[in-house]
Amino acid sequence: MAKIKRKGQTGAAKNYITRTQAVKKLQLSLPDFRKLCIWKGIYPREPRNKKKVSKSSTASTTFYYTKDIQYLLHEPLLQKFRDQKVLEKKISKALGRGDVSDAARHERNAARPEKTGKPRYTLNHVIRERYPTFVDALRDLDDCLSMLFLFANLPSTSAVPAKMIARCERLCLEFEHYLIVSHGLRKSFLSIKGIYYQATIQGEDILWLVPYKFNQRILGDIDFRIMGTFVEFYMTLLSFVNYRLYTSIGLKYPPKFDQLKDDMGGELGAFAIEGVNIATDDATKAVTNGDVAHGVDPKVQAEVDKVVRQLKSDPSNVDQEMEDVTADVDGEEKPNDAIDKFEPVAPGGDILPQPSSSSNDPAELFSQFTFFLSRETPRQPLEFILRAFGCKRIGWDSVLGEGSFTTDESDPSITHQIVDRPVIQAATKEDGDGEDNQTSQKLNQRYPGRVYVQPQWVWDCVNDDELKSPELYAPGASLPPHLSPFVRSTNGQYDPTLPLEAQETEAEALDADLADDKEAEDEEEDENDMDIGSANDDSEEEDEDDVDVEEDEEEGSEDEDATLQRQRELEAEIAGKAVPSKKVDAKTKSKLDAKKALEKKAKEEAEDLERAKGMLSKKKRKLFEQMQYTNNKKSAEDVKLRSKRRKLEKEKSKA
Amino acid sequence: MAPKIAEKKRKVEAPDPESDDELAGRLDGVLSQSEDDSDYIFSDDDQDQDDQSESGSEGTDGDDDEEILSDDIPSDVDGEEAMGKLLIHDAEEELEIDEPGVDPKPKNVVEEETNYRVEKDANGGERYVYNEIEPGYDSDDSDAQGPENTIGDIPLTFYDSYPHIGYDINGKKIMRPAAGDALQNLLDSIEVPKGWTGLTDINTGNPLNLTEEELELVRRVQMGMVPDELHDPYPDTVEYFTSVEEKMPLSAAPEPKRRFLPSKIEAKQVMKLVRAIREGRILPYKPPEEREREEEEKDEVHFDLWQNEEAQDANPMHIPAPKLPPPGYDMSYNPPEEYLPTKEEREAWEALDPDEREKEYLPQKYGALRKVPAWGELVKERFERCMDLYLAPRIRKNRLNIDPNSLLPKLPSPSELKPFPTVCQTVFRGHEGRVRSIAVDPSGTAVATGGDDGTIRVWELLTGRQVWSVKLSSDEPVNAVRWRPNKDSFILAAATGEDIFLMVPSHASVTPTLDQASRDTLAAGFGYATNGQQQPTAVGKEPAAKWARPGTKLEDEGVLIRITVRSTVKVINWHRRGDHFATVSPSGQRSSVAIHTLSKHLTQIPFRKLSGLAQTAAFHPSRPLFFVATQRTIRCYDLQKLELMKVVQPGAKWISSFDIHPAGDNLIVGSYDKRLLWHDLDLSNRPYKTMRFHSEAIRTVKFHRGGLPLFADASDDGTLQIFHGRVPNDQLENPTIVPVKMLKGHKVVAKLGVLDIDWHPREPWCVSAGADGTARLWM
Repeated sequence: MAKIKRKGQTGAAKNYITRTQAVKKLQLSLPDFRKLCIWKGIYPREPRNKKKVSKSSTASTTFYYTKDIQYLLHEPLLQKFRDQKVLEKKISKALGRGDVSDAARHERNAARPEKTGKPRYTLNHVIRERYPTFVDALRDLDDCLSMLFLFANLPSTSAVPAKMIARCERLCLEFEHYLIVSHGLRKSFLSIKGIYYQATIQGEDILWLVPYKFNQRILGDIDFRIMGTFVEFYMTLLSFVNYRLYTSIGLKYPPKFDQLKDDMGGELGAFAIEGVNIATDDATKAVTNGDVAHGVDPKVQAEVDKVVRQLKSDPSNVDQEMEDVTADVDGEEKPNDAIDKFEPVAPGGDILPQPSSSSNDPAELFSQFTFFLSRETPRQPLEFILRAFGCKRIGWDSVLGEGSFTTDESDPSITHQIVDRPVIQAATKEDGDGEDNQTSQKLNQRYPGRVYVQPQWVWDCVNDDELKSPELYAPGASLPPHLSPFVRSTNGQYDPTLPLEAQETEAEALDADLADDKEAEDEEEDENDMDIGSANDDSEEEDEDDVDVEEDEEEGSEDEDATLQRQRELEAEIAGKAVPSKKVDAKTKSKLDAKKALEKKAKEEAEDLERAKGMLSKKKRKLFEQMQYTNNKKSAEDVKLRSKRRKLEKEKSKA
Repeated sequence: MAPKIAEKKRKVEAPDPESDDELAGRLDGVLSQSEDDSDYIFSDDDQDQDDQSESGSEGTDGDDDEEILSDDIPSDVDGEEAMGKLLIHDAEEELEIDEPGVDPKPKNVVEEETNYRVEKDANGGERYVYNEIEPGYDSDDSDAQGPENTIGDIPLTFYDSYPHIGYDINGKKIMRPAAGDALQNLLDSIEVPKGWTGLTDINTGNPLNLTEEELELVRRVQMGMVPDELHDPYPDTVEYFTSVEEKMPLSAAPEPKRRFLPSKIEAKQVMKLVRAIREGRILPYKPPEEREREEEEKDEVHFDLWQNEEAQDANPMHIPAPKLPPPGYDMSYNPPEEYLPTKEEREAWEALDPDEREKEYLPQKYGALRKVPAWGELVKERFERCMDLYLAPRIRKNRLNIDPNSLLPKLPSPSELKPFPTVCQTVFRGHEGRVRSIAVDPSGTAVATGGDDGTIRVWELLTGRQVWSVKLSSDEPVNAVRWRPNKDSFILAAATGEDIFLMVPSHASVTPTLDQASRDTLAAGFGYATNGQQQPTAVGKEPAAKWARPGTKLEDEGVLIRITVRSTVKVINWHRRGDHFATVSPSGQRSSVAIHTLSKHLTQIPFRKLSGLAQTAAFHPSRPLFFVATQRTIRCYDLQKLELMKVVQPGAKWISSFDIHPAGDNLIVGSYDKRLLWHDLDLSNRPYKTMRFHSEAIRTVKFHRGGLPLFADASDDGTLQIFHGRVPNDQLENPTIVPVKMLKGHKVVAKLGVLDIDWHPREPWCVSAGADGTARLWM
């Protein structure tokens, strides 16, 4: 006979462990357990059947895999936690005795990460465990970068030590430097939350959010200890990632950091990037960058070094070097490392899809230009994005901080100036006020031979990989909409870039046309006699808004039409005129017919659908209905957007 | 006063010359008392009487003296005067002692003996009254200084109304001391006497005056000083060892050599430090900030963590955290206008609770980048993301990213499904009460119906004209009518009550030869029966059925055979060849299913025992199989091997009817619990499809027999539903079932709608029998 199995000895009951049990098993306090979970990347699981899992009658909420907790049991960090606990106890005991000096001695031994920003332990092994390969680490970099960029912009408080913030900022700037040198930045987006950046590193897309440079409001109950634990981990991760990235393109890590420049607001300029000796560093050379354009071969390396030198060089000789670079580009006959186009020679072979080589190199987009940033523009993002897309010379007002190419606005080498101030109208009415006029002139002063654009121009150029015409972005002009480059258009979804006609359904187009016609008619009628049809307008408009017009509603509107007609006749009688026959030209009629046909078709389709649905099993029917619900919701949103746009376009055409 | 008295007593007691020898202890006390008395007497009276009275009164007045002693306390006697007398008296006594020259020893004995005296107590018994103990010079007793006021813890005010203030140890009253006259009090109050405290001595009731020394003592105690005035808390230290080096050493020994040699231990210790410094374990002092900074710089170890990376297979249980979705168009600082919310949308968004909002932001348009404010929720959002990363249980959810339409079965269009019955063509009216059963004859020209009125009527199919009718029973309804499925005869079987009738109705299409053939077929069995073939079965038993002629009246009408079975027959089903038919009488228990052989006039009961109530039974359309439906299951029996082939379990609660597809591999089952079930017999014994389109019980289901892929069911909700059910030739393909039509027309009477249906043998026509007394033809 088989052994009798007891309840709770095998299966789900053994596989899961509640949080309380886990904490007890690890002999930790809850905050320490939390830290450990965050660092080791252990998260709760949802058992299929909660009742089978919990041995107690009360419902437990958080379950972990028992295996996960067992894995934590031989974590070296556990010992550190315990040591820390012992130390805390010693300190509190010493204080209890009143032995202040002893307490101070222990306190000196204690690591105070909240004060120093640096714990006694290292998280290196944890990172290696969690990310066995570098690509794994890159894949998880989204949250890391968003978090660190946020912390780099936070005010220092008791919970967030200034050291931590400084370190975050440094790491972030180092990462930005890598992107500038490697031209890895792909896209960027100005959202209401902040600026999104997307970079491609070794084939991995990394998307992160950088807040605007304002003091962050800290609302509600935010536990900075939890955030701090994450940040601690992310800082370690990013420092290793940075090292790897720097060495992979032959740069020395850490870059030299000039505290003085940083204090002056140098930011990116406070770092001095330097290459390592290529001959000695074979290991880094072996690790090739996944990017096609930047395979680490000596030539590219040389170029990178040149770029680095330019970054380091002072503004005066940049021009000359720049010329050199352009001359190089012109004169050199490069072996093209782009993908060749395969043309079928003989007929009969299958055609294989090939990626089209992009025409624009991101490194070349702004390489010819010299920018000047007015003092009202956000310098940090502009500097980063311009540099990442090849711009070498960026000047800005000295108010914006250290490290500019030139602080002189009148520098003749400037080709583009980024301006974000309203155009101040010269007080033309008050001609006598000469001073006012002067100031406005001064503010609106334009240097000839220079392109003045608003900041959005930079972002739109970057996202579309081409230089946009600057007229649209001239100062004071109402900007074209700034679109997210991250949206992948799916079939049937509303796309603001396409014209309305290309995406609206047949029925919608017909509806819209009919509504137009009717409105036109109404207007005509209004000219005839003002008191007719005003009531009808609203209902029609509603119909127009309401997308899936139901049958009975439609009938209702037809009824209304009939009553309207009768009213017209009556009024004509009273006035003693002939009945104004409803002018329905052939075109409208055909449209009406088409609409009716469409409706009929839709009705038939709905009937078919009903029949087909009847044949589904209950489970499948539920699934089907659920899917349809979400699809309908999405499409309703799209329809709403389209109708809004139609209205806007109509208003625009009228105006 | 008290100590003086005591003193006096002692002095008096000591000499007792007369009482030495002869007198026992009895008189001892008296003596001493008398001496005391004499004192008083002395004090009270004349001095001259002193000697005489002393000697004379010794033996005489003991009791009286005692009284005096107890009552009169010499309070008002001048102390000093008494003292002086006593001293004199003492001197005299000493003289007396010396005089007789008595040895000291007996004297001591006497002293011991006089420690107490015996008195009579109230009961007349002896009572020892001890003398006051005189603490001598070396006595330790310092307390007993006088008559203690032994009233205990009682406040002195209790004695306010008495002349005494308490009792001494012997229970004698202690009198209140004189309070002094008013003038004295006044003087006292004006001139504070020395040591006046204003307090009253509890023991004596006198004003408590303290001496100078006593006051000083109190003061010192109050100040927390040592009470003893002479104690010096800070005495001069006595320097036993001086720090001053003496000129002359105590020892003249030379310094030992070791004083001049460097210490090895010290050298070791120094070397230890040197080594530590060399190794960098001991660092020169630096201010803490500087040290911290240096540490920081040193701590940043940079190396390639992924130097020798090797890809590991991801843990299958690991679920990576989902990435946050990228921002859409509406999150732009300058979105296209159509993304901006209208006023209503904005209000609706604002009215919602922040947790319930679909999006945490409203699209907003800022004209220029400089106008974009900080996003206030950013820290909170990040925090929530952190919480999600560490606290949210992760589940892998399969998002079905498929077109929902792909779930829908591919249905042929209704036009492809045609023909099927759509309208009511003919209504057959004539029955009184329900029409229970209906059947179309094999040639497709006539319809037979049987109803509650006990009649069977045959109608012209297309016109609805009644061509023939017979009343079989006046009280029992006709439960079933079925045509013999062969075209070479025109025979109708009908069941009413326990009787089954076989008849040949007259009809326009029936030629005389056909009529004759039919009659011959029916009659053939009589000859067989008379041959006695069926006798063996009937031995000792009641036969399963009685085959007989129904009587001339009915025979004239065309009803030729009457078969009587044991219980009411509800269902008749013919074998395809027309030689056998099966009847089911659900209440018949053992004999509920019977198979009748027409050619032999033989009735067999195939089942000894049936599990469950038999509902209906049918022959397989092509193979020698027999299906019997009980309430829950349908059993399939092989008639040749005589064994159970298969049990079909539709899962219905109560099967009402079933029908087998003409091809023989599929089965439809109708049930009273509103379900229509399609079984693929090859596939499984569970249903392939379950259809629930009726709101009431399903009475009958029927396949079309003439090659059209149609089947129909009839329900108590008064409707017929027509389905397209195509069974593909390919075994691998599943049958296609499409509901095509719902035929409404029959009225629901007493919760009964359509009771029976039948298909036309060739055309897509269908006839139905309703509880409303009509039958209908649908085409």
